[in-house]
Amino acid sequence: MGIEISQVSKRFGDFLALDGIDLNIPNGELTALLGPSGSGKTTLLRIIAGLDTPDTGSIRFFGEDATRKRARDRKVGFVFQHYALFKHMTIFENVAFGLRVRPRALRPEKATIREKVEKLLDMVQLRGMARRFPSELSGGQKQRVALARALAVEPKVLLLDEPFGALDARVRQELRRWLRYLHDEIHITSVFVTHDQEEALEVADRIVILNKGKIEQSGTPEDVYDNPANPFVYGFLGNVNLFHARKELTPNGGEIFIRPHDISLSARDDSGKGIPVRVTTHRILGNRVRVELETREGENIEANIERKDWNALQDADLSALYCQILQGKIHAPDNTWSNYVI
Amino acid sequence: MPAGKKFHFRQNRSQLPGFGLSLGLSVAYLSLLILLPLASLILFSMNLSWREFWTVVTDRRVLAAFRVSFGSTFLAATIDLFFGFVIAWVLARYQFFGKRLVDAVIDLPFAIPTAVTGIALATLFSGKGLVGGQLEAFAHWFNTAFSTQLSFNIAFSQAGIVVALMFIGMPFIVRTVQPVLEELDKEVEEAASSLGADFRHIFLRVIFPGILPALLTGFALAFARGLGEYGSVIFISSNAPYETEIVPLLIVMRLGEFNYEGASAIGVAMLACSFLLLLAINFLQTLARNRRSA
Amino acid sequence: MSAAPGHTLEPRWLKPVLITIALLFLAVFILLPLVTIFSQALSVNLQDYLAAALGYEGATPELPPLFASLGEGTSVYRAALSDAEVRAAIRLTLLTALICVPLNTFFGVLLAWAVARFEFRGKNFLVSLIELPFAISPVIAGLIFILIFGASGWLNMIPFGTQADGSTLTLYQWMDARNLKVVFAVPGIVLATLFVTFPFVARELIPLMQEMGKDDEEAALTLGASGWQLFFRVTLPNIKWGLLYGVILTNARAIGEFGAVAVVSGNVRGETTTMPLYIEILYGEYQFATAFAVASLLTLIALVTLVVKAVIEYLLQKQRTG
Repeated sequence: MGIEISQVSKRFGDFLALDGIDLNIPNGELTALLGPSGSGKTTLLRIIAGLDTPDTGSIRFFGEDATRKRARDRKVGFVFQHYALFKHMTIFENVAFGLRVRPRALRPEKATIREKVEKLLDMVQLRGMARRFPSELSGGQKQRVALARALAVEPKVLLLDEPFGALDARVRQELRRWLRYLHDEIHITSVFVTHDQEEALEVADRIVILNKGKIEQSGTPEDVYDNPANPFVYGFLGNVNLFHARKELTPNGGEIFIRPHDISLSARDDSGKGIPVRVTTHRILGNRVRVELETREGENIEANIERKDWNALQDADLSALYCQILQGKIHAPDNTWSNYVI
Repeated sequence: MPAGKKFHFRQNRSQLPGFGLSLGLSVAYLSLLILLPLASLILFSMNLSWREFWTVVTDRRVLAAFRVSFGSTFLAATIDLFFGFVIAWVLARYQFFGKRLVDAVIDLPFAIPTAVTGIALATLFSGKGLVGGQLEAFAHWFNTAFSTQLSFNIAFSQAGIVVALMFIGMPFIVRTVQPVLEELDKEVEEAASSLGADFRHIFLRVIFPGILPALLTGFALAFARGLGEYGSVIFISSNAPYETEIVPLLIVMRLGEFNYEGASAIGVAMLACSFLLLLAINFLQTLARNRRSA
Repeated sequence: MSAAPGHTLEPRWLKPVLITIALLFLAVFILLPLVTIFSQALSVNLQDYLAAALGYEGATPELPPLFASLGEGTSVYRAALSDAEVRAAIRLTLLTALICVPLNTFFGVLLAWAVARFEFRGKNFLVSLIELPFAISPVIAGLIFILIFGASGWLNMIPFGTQADGSTLTLYQWMDARNLKVVFAVPGIVLATLFVTFPFVARELIPLMQEMGKDDEEAALTLGASGWQLFFRVTLPNIKWGLLYGVILTNARAIGEFGAVAVVSGNVRGETTTMPLYIEILYGEYQFATAFAVASLLTLIALVTLVVKAVIEYLLQKQRTG
């Protein structure tokens, strides 16, 4: 096992940031801690790093108790949201820092350090930048330097706090694919914090969803997306249409969850199971179209369909369409899920 | 680790090193250097009974000194409020030749020793100084022309004390108001203007309320500093009891007479004034911060 | 942040009027005092020259040319500065600064580290305590040390053995017998100066370090740096300009302090007179040229302080935006 967290709680004044967290982070995997702000995900990451101490509970690294170990002895690499590069040092000096501060007996030779730093800079594709200062780099480059610096000390665990949070959309896309690629190469046990479900789904091997200091669900991206444990997870992992279930479906009441892209639109009701709707507004988002619909009962539905399907409706009367529900889930009051069968 | 209130203090600790060492040593140093001596002042004044204490601080000469100190400081800080505001405004909003130099020399009163200030101002405003000489010549001309007996003497009068305190207090106002003026959102002014407000309205309704806490803070800082000022004042003032004698000077006089109790009683009275001003400044600064973050 | 060039909202006359008011005020309150100090030090009476230039009646009809007078002045100046008592005052002032600046820098950094990097109970109280020496009169700063160490102060109330005649020997009497003096001697001057100069370093560093945040230091921590490595390699380079700023302000005040030192000095000429105190003595004895000569030295230090301060502010600003 990689990192074992048991019964970790943390309180800041009156605010309960973490409430009895139990979590196992498998060796060699890339795990995402996903949750809204204030869910405790960064606090958990800092506790793993040893930058904060838990009020209760324990942390084991690879079978060894690390709860009382100091941050500098834990052999973790930590990448900060705002990079935390040392402004007065060159890129080379930043990456070499962790090696140079070692006690003399453990410190590598100068040449070894140089070799190692250059290799790391190669890896993060910043070879020519060694002599520049952080202020001369773009956000994406700075974040790659921060990563190289963290990896230089050969940590057993790599921790990243919202690593792409401060970057603009394009760079963020690019860098997260690169991080996934890098992890496939070096297989270091990694944990990253994010509030962006898309990022977590794209990059992580496993996703841990936190809310109000508690773990709502953890599992593979497919698992948590397809089988959300509760309405919060369902809602947090993507947009959702929510309806009160009719009595004939769930005798005790309950709610139906349908994702916007699990709805299709047509001009005619071939299957006989379509719901008559009218289009109130639509928005073309590149190759997909977001359509807002209203049923005869006045309920609002959001659909997200492919551009070609929308184009096929060109000649149809937008005030008299039918929507088909491809799949959905019913959440009963006893917290059980069932498939919505049409 | 047990979860008990016992560990509360440790738990919220950052994991950075050196907390015990830095806090322990610096608190010990502060206690020895500042807290203990100040406490001893208060304790010393307690050698007097309440009655004696009251007699000392309500002595006619002491009261006169407080009147001179408070009156002069108030006047000086008020004049500084106007000029300090104008200087801060000019530095925050305009570009002009020599601005960097002006910005740098604002702090001269902070940097220059008060004794030097004292003799420089006393000479400058006396009859043989550049300003005092002109004033004397002007007074001579004025009195002959209008058959009056007016005096325009600044040095060795209460006006001199005010001048010295103005010099000392000016940077406090500039340096508290200037950053606030620089931070003011220009878009808010432009928004007000787009809504049809003229500059007078923009100033009174938009700018002035924004800098009022800073102005008051600056005033309080200048006032606190002026009240305790000694070095620059004693040279330009004639130091005549009941007329131009300030409180700090009176403390020095009492010490010279080896009247430690008297000196400590007046000292405690001044200390109380300083504490009140410090409280007021803290309150104003909180007000300003809230205003800015809102 | 620089002021936007086009303040089109203001009436046109406002800018020239306000700049004129500001510059006039500063001319009278900053420039003229400086001119006075140096002209007096060089024994040039500018008032006479001004009166002559303006053609006042009664002005001295024949004045030596300004530069000739300056030449004569410099010799007076040199004589003043070679005076033994002036030299003793300079030595004492430097000694005081040499003790106070390192001590207060060391403890100021410690205090800033504790306040800016940790949360603890009573922190707000501690922060207001730092400001205290600025809030109270320098005369009180001197007074408190007299009350502790003076002849009728606390030390004279602490029993420290018995005298030959059986009466109690106080700590003060014991020290006095061994010629260990605190007030009216150099230790008192140092103590009073330490008191009034304590806040500068801490109050310069605390906001700077709070603004910088802990990220850099925590990063160094996860990279395995020890406490000292963390401070000297990460924190110190980040705060060096702010620290230097605090140090020069401490130095300026340590050299120039008058009120607090005047109270504890006892003014023993050549022994317990710092430069500012000696100025007072000379001025009281109508030795104006010598007084202003000493004053001009202190003024030069003040001007250098301002220049260094301006440079540091520029560097700090660059560091912040860079």
